[in-house]
Amino acid sequence: MFDIDFNDSGAVVVSGRLDAAQAPKAQAFLDRVLDECIVDMAALEYISSAGLGVLLKTHKRLMVNASELKLINVNSHINDIFRYSGFDKLFIIETASS
Amino acid sequence: MRNKYKRSFEEIRKIVEDTGQFFAQENIDESLRMKVDLSLEELFVNMVTYNTETICEILIEMQSIDKGIEVSLTDHDVDRFDPTASGQVDVDAPLVDRKPGGLGLYLVLKMADSINYQYHGRTSKITFTNKVVEADV
Repeated sequence: MFDIDFNDSGAVVVSGRLDAAQAPKAQAFLDRVLDECIVDMAALEYISSAGLGVLLKTHKRLMVNASELKLINVNSHINDIFRYSGFDKLFIIETASS
Repeated sequence: MRNKYKRSFEEIRKIVEDTGQFFAQENIDESLRMKVDLSLEELFVNMVTYNTETICEILIEMQSIDKGIEVSLTDHDVDRFDPTASGQVDVDAPLVDRKPGGLGLYLVLKMADSINYQYHGRTSKITFTNKVVEADV
């Protein structure tokens, strides 16, 4: 199960498992984001390379206009994947404990 | 555990469910779950995406081993593609040079404690293991 939506503050909230089957849903949603955007990952349980690709594609598109994605409340398992992938050098990332 | 799956991303949900059942049945340490799920998905997706000449279902087998789990994926009627010889990604590259895709096999090689590829009679079999490290016991 994967879900993605805006919260009342305008942040994108993702939850569940962002895998290859769910990546198109996430991409379709994030394609509507046009400005700087916070992605709250507190309820995200899992992400695979397909999900990483969605974040990277969106981040690169926003950077053209000097905007970006900021990833917050990232759990330790997902943060490990971000570090292995070099995403910690590309994104502003706040872990759940920071 | 020995199950076959259709060549569809929609099968990922069933693979995750079956993996969870196997972990529970065999009392495998849940700290390995994320790594196993990730490697399984990446290898399955790679087979579905690139082995398009076959319609055979993909066989996934799991067995409990000392302090961990061994998982294999078998794909029939396919060309040779050794994932252990690929997966080179420059994760230090600047954003402008990074492209979506290509990270999957790289992550598998990072996550798995061992990985082995066999190819015989147009059948590919990839086996990986994950074990709890001593510091975590």
